[in-house]
Amino acid sequence: MLAGLAVILTAVGVYAIYTIVQLRALEDLQAKTIDRNRTDSHVLLRLQNNLNSIALTLRDMLDGSEPYPLTAWRGQFQRIHTDLSDALAQEEKYAPLERSADQRGYLTRSVAEFWDALDRLFGLAAAGQEQEARTLIRLSLQSRQEALSTLVARLLVQNNETEQVAAERTHGIYARAERNVYLLLAAMLVLIAATGVYLVQSNRRMFEQVAALSELRSELAQQLISVQESSFRSISRELHDDFGQILTAVGVMLQRAERHIAQRPEDLRADLREAEEIVQSTLEKVRSLSRALHPVILDEMGFEEALDQYLPGFQKQTGIEIHYEKDGPGRELDRGVSIHLYRVMQEALSNIARHSKSARAAVRVHFSPEKVVLEVEDEGVGFGGQEKQGLGLVSMRERAEMVKGRVEFLDGSSGGALVRLTVPLEPVSST
Amino acid sequence: MTRRTFLLSAVSAAAAVPAFDPGFRLVDATAAAGIRFQHNSGAFGAKYLPETMGSGCAFLDYDGDGWLDILIVNGMDWPGHKRQRTTMHLYRNNHNGTFTDVTERAGLAVEMYGMGVAVGDYDNDGFPDILITAVGQNRLFRNNGRGRFLDVTEKAGLGGRNAFSASAMWFDYNRDGLLDLLVCNYVKWSPEHDVFCSVDGKRKSYCTPEAYHGSTCWLFRNRGDGTFEDVTAASGIFDTTSKSLGVALVDYDRDGWPDVLVTNDTQPNKLYRNRRDGTFEDVAVRAGVAFSEDGKARAGMGVDTADFDNSGATGIAITNFDNEMMGLYRPVPQGTFADIALKAGVGQPSRDSLGFGCAFLDANLDGNLDLVAVNGHIDETARHVRNVGYAQPAHLFLNNGKGGFHDVAPAAGSGFASPKVGRGLAYGDFDRDGDLDILVTTNQGPAFLYRNDITSGNRSLRLRLVGTKSNRDAIGAVARVWTPDGGQTRMVKTGSSYLSQSELTLTFGLAQRDHADRVVIEWPSGAVQEFKNVRTAQYECVEGQPLRGV
Repeated sequence: MLAGLAVILTAVGVYAIYTIVQLRALEDLQAKTIDRNRTDSHVLLRLQNNLNSIALTLRDMLDGSEPYPLTAWRGQFQRIHTDLSDALAQEEKYAPLERSADQRGYLTRSVAEFWDALDRLFGLAAAGQEQEARTLIRLSLQSRQEALSTLVARLLVQNNETEQVAAERTHGIYARAERNVYLLLAAMLVLIAATGVYLVQSNRRMFEQVAALSELRSELAQQLISVQESSFRSISRELHDDFGQILTAVGVMLQRAERHIAQRPEDLRADLREAEEIVQSTLEKVRSLSRALHPVILDEMGFEEALDQYLPGFQKQTGIEIHYEKDGPGRELDRGVSIHLYRVMQEALSNIARHSKSARAAVRVHFSPEKVVLEVEDEGVGFGGQEKQGLGLVSMRERAEMVKGRVEFLDGSSGGALVRLTVPLEPVSST
Repeated sequence: MTRRTFLLSAVSAAAAVPAFDPGFRLVDATAAAGIRFQHNSGAFGAKYLPETMGSGCAFLDYDGDGWLDILIVNGMDWPGHKRQRTTMHLYRNNHNGTFTDVTERAGLAVEMYGMGVAVGDYDNDGFPDILITAVGQNRLFRNNGRGRFLDVTEKAGLGGRNAFSASAMWFDYNRDGLLDLLVCNYVKWSPEHDVFCSVDGKRKSYCTPEAYHGSTCWLFRNRGDGTFEDVTAASGIFDTTSKSLGVALVDYDRDGWPDVLVTNDTQPNKLYRNRRDGTFEDVAVRAGVAFSEDGKARAGMGVDTADFDNSGATGIAITNFDNEMMGLYRPVPQGTFADIALKAGVGQPSRDSLGFGCAFLDANLDGNLDLVAVNGHIDETARHVRNVGYAQPAHLFLNNGKGGFHDVAPAAGSGFASPKVGRGLAYGDFDRDGDLDILVTTNQGPAFLYRNDITSGNRSLRLRLVGTKSNRDAIGAVARVWTPDGGQTRMVKTGSSYLSQSELTLTFGLAQRDHADRVVIEWPSGAVQEFKNVRTAQYECVEGQPLRGV
């Protein structure tokens, strides 16, 4: 998912950079070509408008519909002159960069020549030579006006063509940007879809695992309750069957001893000895039960001593021959660690006794500065590919987790089962 | 309470909210006054351009009895399509709110294709003379002082001129004490050269002026002997690109010499600055009134000039085509104007209006000049294409004195804002109650006389100026009035609006005050008179003499 996110962010970043580059190109095109061209076209239109006004005025001067002398038009031309001169100054300022100096100068010179001719016209008119002035309009001024108008029209066409080229370039930039938007959208869509599918699958697996764990925990809880009840029942039976009968027997012996005090004092000693033996035996049983519930020796002497005491008892009770090895420098283990090591060892041996049908078993403890490894191996039938989900195995796994260790259920070298518990240790301080 | 009764009570409560009271009512007094005028454009289906442009009207006191009379210009049937005989109409004021049609008696029952009117005492005899502009030959009617007008066109040297004339203005451009005449001409048009135009692409409609050549305005200098000299070319007014409809007097550079503002339809407006030597120079572009703020030559129609912000300097209002908004120009330093129409609240409400006549007048007499404009499209097919009405409501923008205007025409009452094909607009106090009444003409329709009834109790100070050294009408004279609320400035002028002329008497609204602290009159001759503690009333002020109540 992080990879997907990274890809998306990279794609967006790359697209943003691309878009900025395109926008700058567009901005440059807009400022240097389109805007300037458009402004110049407006100025040219203003020039054309002035030239049209000149044409209309010249026509009015010739058609004789006004009862005024030709000099009356001087003021009208002065207004046009003012505006046209301003427009020409603007034109020089905004002419497209590709227009040559000769082209620029030609328009200005042509306009100046027109005004010179117009001055000659008004000179003739002021001198009363109206007919000559009208001839000058027809032969010179109208032709000059038309030439100027054609020139301005040609410049406008050039501007239009430049604008068309710029428009095509702009269109190209927009088309590329549009295509890339679609590409980006498609890529984003694919990535989002893939991420979505992955998330769905991942969530499904997670929910399945949660459901399985929940079921397992429920089962374990039931088994724990069952084991607890079984333990209580066992203790109760021990108390009732063994200690109850023993204490009853001790009571009967003590009554008998009381009777012997008066009648047969010599039997009193034998009674007391018998009672003493029974009490001694009972004490052993109590100790054994106590050890089964919690090995006190573990607290008092440590893990290795507890092993030394437990293994012979197990061998004796089950008849399974135990081969015990220890290597590495032994060290005192934390009580929290040693109880779990001890219980895992007990559980593994118990499993061997119940399921392995093995006559021999090996218990190996390996100490190193950073860990302790406990191995319990038998020569029996092994796990045989069975599901390793029994309560005992689960409890071993839980215990391993509690000490941040790892338990492995392996096949041993002789085909039997091998249980290996590895527990990391805190480094020993040098002090 | 049920939902229905709740809604009904809510509606009743809303209805009970008092309508906005502008402080005056405009009462349609047309019928009661006996004004039964019907404009004849001569339209017979050919849709000749002049048919949609007229006509104008005027308030004048032609008989000098101190009561305003009314003149309404009329068109006529086109040659070859005669159905009726129509003439302009002169209505004499009966001093009781009614008028009598005295057209025949006054010698004005002249059939002509009349467009506009300009009233001025060009011969300084104390009786107003009349120029009627027309499609064809304009006519100058001299008032003989005995209730009759004489056609002196030829005698005055104004004959032999055919044009499509529009507004005209009397003013003394050379300050010689004689009224000169400026006539606006629209375009070069004749029935023979009529152009087919269409708004919807199917039916013929009235053309906009792009279809026709422009036509120069004329300036005639009064020689003082009853004749006029054409100084159009010599004065620099000559301009064949102009398509002029409106003209207004303005002292743009405040030098005491009258300048001229001409509004052109689809051409740049012209502001002719008086160079004091008998010539003018066009400074419209420099002054910022030639084009709209976005550099477009609008369809300038009507125009008026006045000190609407009481700054002492003159502002300008120009009506334009629909979608162009009115122009409202405020003077700014360096002799230029800024169009504040949008900012002042005039632009947006007038965006859909095609305006013609317009005038600054203090409708509610609060001391701030309000702005009235009448509107109406040029072609009835416009409503199908441009989504604007052919008949359109008038605007009455009330000036709040803080640079803002608010259209209160609907609240003015009596159908003032009901849609009309408005053209001419003039104002004057025909009932002599101290406030300004309004006269409106419509194209191919009736004229409307709206009597102003002030409801707020505001008062006015009115001055009728009579020149002695200056021209008798005192055109170009400036009066300034001060109260503790500030100063107001008015100029005596003809022209303005569209094809129309308002009264020459100046009206100053003093709100609830009963006197002005100071009144100063600057005469065209250069003389200045000052009066103090002038009570609200109507006065006549003869140049060089004290005020006299009339």
